[in-house]
Amino acid sequence: MTDLAFLGIADAADLIRTRKLSPVEYIAALLDRTGRLDSRYHAFIRLTPDLALAGARQAEKEIAGGNWRGPLHGIPTGLKDIIDCAGVPTTAHSKVLVENVAAQDAMVTQRLKSAGAIVMGKLATHEFAIGGPSFDLPWPPAVNPWGGNHFPGGSSSGSGVALAAGMLPAALGTDTGGSVRNPASMCGITGMKPTYGRVSRRGVLPLAYSLDHVGPMTRTVRDNALLLQVLAGHDPDDPGSANVPVSHYAADLERGVKGLKLGLVRHFYVEDMQAHPEQAEAIDRAAELLRGLGAEVREIRLAPLQDYATCTRIIIRCEAFAIHRRWLAERPGDYGNLARQRILDGAAVSATDYIDAQRLRGRLTRRTLEMFAGLDAVLTASSLDPACRIDDADACAWLYPRQARQPFNVTGQPAIAIPAGFTQDDLPLSLQLIGHPWQEAMLYRIARAYERATDWTERHPSAVSAA
Amino acid sequence: MATNNDILLRTAATAGLTRLTEAHLAQLKRAIESARELGDKLPKDLHYSEEIAVTFRLPAAGGSKP
Repeated sequence: MTDLAFLGIADAADLIRTRKLSPVEYIAALLDRTGRLDSRYHAFIRLTPDLALAGARQAEKEIAGGNWRGPLHGIPTGLKDIIDCAGVPTTAHSKVLVENVAAQDAMVTQRLKSAGAIVMGKLATHEFAIGGPSFDLPWPPAVNPWGGNHFPGGSSSGSGVALAAGMLPAALGTDTGGSVRNPASMCGITGMKPTYGRVSRRGVLPLAYSLDHVGPMTRTVRDNALLLQVLAGHDPDDPGSANVPVSHYAADLERGVKGLKLGLVRHFYVEDMQAHPEQAEAIDRAAELLRGLGAEVREIRLAPLQDYATCTRIIIRCEAFAIHRRWLAERPGDYGNLARQRILDGAAVSATDYIDAQRLRGRLTRRTLEMFAGLDAVLTASSLDPACRIDDADACAWLYPRQARQPFNVTGQPAIAIPAGFTQDDLPLSLQLIGHPWQEAMLYRIARAYERATDWTERHPSAVSAA
Repeated sequence: MATNNDILLRTAATAGLTRLTEAHLAQLKRAIESARELGDKLPKDLHYSEEIAVTFRLPAAGGSKP
């Protein structure tokens, strides 16, 4: 079972295409494994076994008939529970939407289904992608399979946990201030926030529409490229969607980094905020490793982290409050304490400050892109610390803003978080690579070169490896 | 003379939040303090010429949505 549990999309696709692996047996094995593990880890809010088995039977029939649709055909996937799947509740992990059955698929769900992927269920999130980890909601928060009882990051917490625990090989998350890359960093998996406008948000509950992104989460870089290939594309019904040609994301994966020019933003994690020593050392070592593989790495300076954080926090607060105002007015007691506080924060921000934050966003974006000139990509931290215990509310609150992800929600650039080692206590460490707009393929190329030179993605949490 | 609590209730009412409990109002009070601190961190030299102009866009020809 362990083999199927940690099988990646690329390897599973080969087995499925050559009919050495039945999609029905594959999904049944993962459903069984999830049933055994999830009372401990709470990755799923809801499994959809009937939907999943019906999809797997259809995939099996099509493939047997010679109609293999591509690498996602027959692959189990999970959706963060703010993403609509027709006929299934989209709860946002909240009492407010406990009975909110989606009438239609989100565009990303449609794209997954068209590619033949199987929706296995809806995954835990911080409430409305903003309030967590919380223990006062209808479902418990997801727990990291790394460590004893640790925070998995968020808000796409269930997606990170399900991947790290070997419950599925592919999941979708969303990222407004870092919510794909945070659980990727804490759970030792790979999470991409694509360029703003690259992936449709239609049918996804917004948190802050000018900063929201949907992103692929997987265990490996190649799998992430395969998943983004299916998700990317223009959607005229998402006003933020861009009509830009889609690259072939896996085409250059094995080209290596020789001759590439990379920037290293050290001041984010040694000066603006001081990262945990093991985390800072992991990024410095990664820079050295990439130099050793032939990349030219030079240190650059961007604006201080705090400038990006001020900009992001004001925009998120205002846009989130605008989205939630009616529900909050009618049912304030149905929100968990953390989400209510973070959404109420927007009630008190002035319109002038919101507009100034958007002006600041333009300024920061322009200056950041200027600093990227002449570089192929930039390397820095994602999280500044490894995971803390999930039952330590003070530690979680302290940890939450200690990150270098928000700058790239502000600028809309693509950014990927990948594993970069482990602490002495066996908790995942991570790094972040950031690219020019629409250059996700370059990030995959660099990330793959690093991944190939290390063995971090081959390690799995001991608590679930033998399950 | 308006008390702090009056000001808090007025802020809540202006935002349409008329069903907040005492505990929720305490959260709103923290929100007001936090918003002030956050606003103070914004640069003071932001100019209207830096507007990113996402506020209004006409539909493309033949398009259904702006």
